[in-house]
Amino acid sequence: MSDELIPKVKQMIIDALRIDGMEADEIDSDAPLFGEGLGLDSIDALQLVVAMEKDFGVVVPDAATGTKVFASVRAMAAYIAENQK
Amino acid sequence: MTIWLFPGQPLQPEQATPDDADFHALADLCRAYCGYDLITYKPLAGHPLSHHTCLQIYGVAMSLYRARKLRNAGSVPSLISEHSLGIYAALAASGSIAEQDALELVSRIGSCMSQMGAVEEYSLGCPIGLPIDPVEAAARNNGVFVANYNTSRHFLLAGSKQGIEAALAECQAAGAFSVSSFPCEAPLHTPLMAEVRDDLAAIVAEYHIAEPQVPLIESFGQTCLTAATIPAFLVDELQQPVYWERTWKAVRATGFSRCREVGSGQALTKFNRWIDSEAGTL
Repeated sequence: MSDELIPKVKQMIIDALRIDGMEADEIDSDAPLFGEGLGLDSIDALQLVVAMEKDFGVVVPDAATGTKVFASVRAMAAYIAENQK
Repeated sequence: MTIWLFPGQPLQPEQATPDDADFHALADLCRAYCGYDLITYKPLAGHPLSHHTCLQIYGVAMSLYRARKLRNAGSVPSLISEHSLGIYAALAASGSIAEQDALELVSRIGSCMSQMGAVEEYSLGCPIGLPIDPVEAAARNNGVFVANYNTSRHFLLAGSKQGIEAALAECQAAGAFSVSSFPCEAPLHTPLMAEVRDDLAAIVAEYHIAEPQVPLIESFGQTCLTAATIPAFLVDELQQPVYWERTWKAVRATGFSRCREVGSGQALTKFNRWIDSEAGTL
């Protein structure tokens, strides 16, 4: 179920963060989004929180939860699948 | 129409060090005018620069480097704006001061400000995710100040270390998505900086400041700086908050077609992305 969400999550990341010149397929589903990997930071995190709520109706309440949710695209998809109403 | 935006102080040096003639020319200027080694990120022997002053020099040097690279690539700014420390490189890019003066100024001003840290412990605090009202309340309740109004949900607090920790705890309790704090030597962009105002003014008075050749919008009142207003601005801006959201909206209203962030990192680009997405301008 959550694997089906992975392409949509990748596209959401590209759209929300306005990553020019990157296709969804180029994002590694298991790579860390913060630090290494895509190199995102706390400003990006809040932008992703807003996008997840808008696109999937799922709330990430705080940074502690965000650390787990934004560990990778796969983790984001799993969190959405678990919390989507 | 191209806009160049000069960001504030980076939190740390970039992982990769450039290796070309422009970078080495700036490294030479850093050594000669600041006593700072841009390649090792350390002060030269006999130059007691603090870690924070070194980072400030580094930030200005990297902005000057990126400005050189952009010019080499044919980019010519029609308008320039700045955030906090970005003012020094912005002045150089506008033709108001020389590159070496920008570096020497930030080195001397940084060293002057660092004296405040010997008497009192200061911090910067970054609450993310709350609107301004609870952030301002937390600042007021704990005797600290909002130093940067970056976007509707990104702020920077400055003040005593104890006050910042208490204000951040209040922000966390009010539902901030994240809070973080950073040590600093001076309560930048707060009225507390009045303590060194006269010393800063004396430093600034030693430099010749020419009329900017490119319009330069400052981030407090969103006015275009002139040779007559720049000396006072360089002193006053350290006692006043940075209003980046207002500044970006003022810049946006000019109708530019291309925007470049000229410095280390992408903080302004990310703030602008947030502001634009809220305004529905992208």
